Amino acid sequence: MNAVVTAQRLPVISLQDVSFSYEGGIEALKRVSLRVAKGEKVAVVGGNGSGKTTLAKHLNGLLKPSSGKVLIGGQDSSRTSVATLARTVGYVFQNPDYQLFCTSVEEEVRFGPHSMGLGRDDESALVERSMKLMGIGHLREQSPISLSLGDRRKVAIASVLATSPEVFVLDEPTTGLDTVESAQLMATLDVLRSEGMTVVLITHEMRLVAQHMDRVIAMSEGSVAFDTEVEEAFSDSDRLRRCKLLAPPITVLAQRLRAQGALSKGAATPLQLVEQVVRVRGERR
Amino acid sequence: MRAFELTKTRVRYRGSDILALCDVSVGVDEGEIVLLLGSNNAGKSTFCRLLNGLVPHSIPAQVDGAVEVLGRDVSKTSVARLATLVGMVFQEPESQLFCMSVEEEVAFGPENIAIPRAEIISRVEWALGVVGLSGYNARPPSNLSGGEKQRLAIAAALSMRPRLLVLDEPAYALDPAGRTDLYALLRTLRERYGMTIIIAERDAEELTELCDRVILLRSGRVVADGAPSEVLSRIDEMVVAGVSPPQIAHLSALLADRFPGKTRPFFTMGGAEKEIADLVRTSGGDAP
Amino acid sequence: MTRFNDLYSEADTFLHRLDPRVKMASVLMLSLLAFIMSSLAYLLVLLTFIFILLLLARSSYRKTAFAMKFVLRFMALIAILWPLFDPSGTPVLIRLGPVVITEPGIWRGLTSAIRVGCLATVWYILIFTTSQRDLVRGLVKLGLRFDFGLALAIALRYFPAFGTVMDSIIDAQRSRGMEFEKGNIFARARKYVAVLGPAIVSALKTADMLALAMQSRAYGARRNRTYLRELRMRLSDYVALATVLAMFVVPAVAKYVLSVPI
Repeated sequence: MNAVVTAQRLPVISLQDVSFSYEGGIEALKRVSLRVAKGEKVAVVGGNGSGKTTLAKHLNGLLKPSSGKVLIGGQDSSRTSVATLARTVGYVFQNPDYQLFCTSVEEEVRFGPHSMGLGRDDESALVERSMKLMGIGHLREQSPISLSLGDRRKVAIASVLATSPEVFVLDEPTTGLDTVESAQLMATLDVLRSEGMTVVLITHEMRLVAQHMDRVIAMSEGSVAFDTEVEEAFSDSDRLRRCKLLAPPITVLAQRLRAQGALSKGAATPLQLVEQVVRVRGERR
Repeated sequence: MRAFELTKTRVRYRGSDILALCDVSVGVDEGEIVLLLGSNNAGKSTFCRLLNGLVPHSIPAQVDGAVEVLGRDVSKTSVARLATLVGMVFQEPESQLFCMSVEEEVAFGPENIAIPRAEIISRVEWALGVVGLSGYNARPPSNLSGGEKQRLAIAAALSMRPRLLVLDEPAYALDPAGRTDLYALLRTLRERYGMTIIIAERDAEELTELCDRVILLRSGRVVADGAPSEVLSRIDEMVVAGVSPPQIAHLSALLADRFPGKTRPFFTMGGAEKEIADLVRTSGGDAP
Repeated sequence: MTRFNDLYSEADTFLHRLDPRVKMASVLMLSLLAFIMSSLAYLLVLLTFIFILLLLARSSYRKTAFAMKFVLRFMALIAILWPLFDPSGTPVLIRLGPVVITEPGIWRGLTSAIRVGCLATVWYILIFTTSQRDLVRGLVKLGLRFDFGLALAIALRYFPAFGTVMDSIIDAQRSRGMEFEKGNIFARARKYVAVLGPAIVSALKTADMLALAMQSRAYGARRNRTYLRELRMRLSDYVALATVLAMFVVPAVAKYVLSVPI
């Protein structure tokens, strides 16, 4: 998907010239402008302290811009409460332990839709669907804090999912997860995306970005360093290094092979690269 | 000399009916960098904590079989005594840096074993220099960046002059640049000080070139143990163990499957580039 | 925001360089002095002296203002309320129903206000010029057990971190649509459970890891440990201590031995 085309579609979130300073004067965002369209899968990447979490907290109004404007589903975030914005944007914190407080998984997942007053029938349907999507139905009676990190994170995600937001912001949801757990989580995000949900993923995991995301917004020192479709994002390794990032080996390899004319397209996974090789060999024959 | 030797080691935590480690027999020589690879709950942390005696001395557990670290029987040696031989770095910097200044953090260990003050000062300066934090002495640890915090945690272990350094998921809170710095530091520690280094991680991607050896754990058992190029190309075993194979090694295996007899295994980016270029150039004659 | 735990600022003043033990002893003696003296004039002299010290501490305007705002408000409150509740003595200045205000009442109010001003300011000076680590180090050197000192240091170290955790938890709950301002007292209490519960869980986890990290660095290996930083009294420390001691002892002797009314 072309980033320019994307920007022309109806934006769910739009930031216009947003700057933000924490008390004490540290400027964490410097004149950031961007739009996220409905149905996009956007990765926000950058080194520690690059401003990506500060940016993310503007996406649901937890932080209000010091200057500039944030529009969330058409509402000005500076004039709307977080509780209202939460109906449009769901935000999953990096540490699930900051969120879980109920005595059972089901109660935990029910909490969000209940406090938004969505009505009993809708509520139950949403709770069931979220638990099913995250694969935690069998844990419904258990106490969230007794679960493994992977399961705790699933509960935290389900509990936000149950509020049925249009945009889903996840702050480093794969930290501490192993391969199997990350793959499950990313597959779930793909499902949500196919249902029309907009996904914003903040992450250090470049392999997941290459495989699952359409667009990459790279933050560096509070500014947007680049905002491109995913393949282009990994094309410039110097630029990535300046943003304290590292392209996944397969992406780098595919680009090198393309540069010497051995392949015609990029690849995000080993399997994709093999398919490329198969195709090129077929064409040459 | 052996840095450590586990012989048929079994660990069962008190109150648990699952074996956290099961019949693990592993010997590591001094000067090796070993990657302990496994998914969550594979037993990596238990393995690490055995090496400095936290298991079973601080975390109650039933340990069968022998655990010997630098010639000492861990079951008969206190954690405090082992602390001078084994440096331990945990995953989260926030909960292992508890002092009010960088220098106190680094001095904490030597102070505890009553090293004379002049010696502590020189150790602090040395350790901060090694990790690249010279001049940070008076800064509060909480004000450091994630990468700096983790290097401080390493300095705090180094000031005990350990011969074995154990790092339990040290890259957990780091960004890619921070991870690169960390691994460069570990390489320096081995090359310059001959230190033995054990790194427990869930992911081998950025560690393929740093390690001399990889131990793959699954549900508390060692399922593979050998050179990285050997262990990390056993794709199926890694997948079963819940660990993602390094992309280049994975690619090598996939190509070997798809084009049997036409490619040689490769392990590095350069090797992959050459092999695939050759494969594309020699096209023709494939079975459809 | 200025918080109580970051009032200290790094600087190289005479007060910063003083041994923390001398500073603690001095603060204690000056506080006692404020209690001993009952003459408004002498208390004003003491307050002036303490304010000069405050200027010498070279704390930032922001931090000084934050601290002194409390002190001055408290002083004003005492000066105003004291005469209302202490109607003893004559002459009576105002009689308004049950409210009786006398001239000695007003003087006593002023005296107490200045006494409290001396007391609070002198402790603020200690906090402005002494890092938490020096405070703890001083306490340990004065005989506090090392374990207790370490526990105190850790509590001070993690206090701001705990605040950050609480903020994150509140943010996480607000992101799920929780509105802390809404509802009756029971609904609100339940909302605070949603914050305290996770906060306690996370604090316990940190404490657990902390214990492992400390043991891994030989905590408790020997009874007599050594210290990287030893406190050593210098000439200036002795001079300062002697000066404050004289300031304390002379009025104390004058008042209690020689019965001079000060």
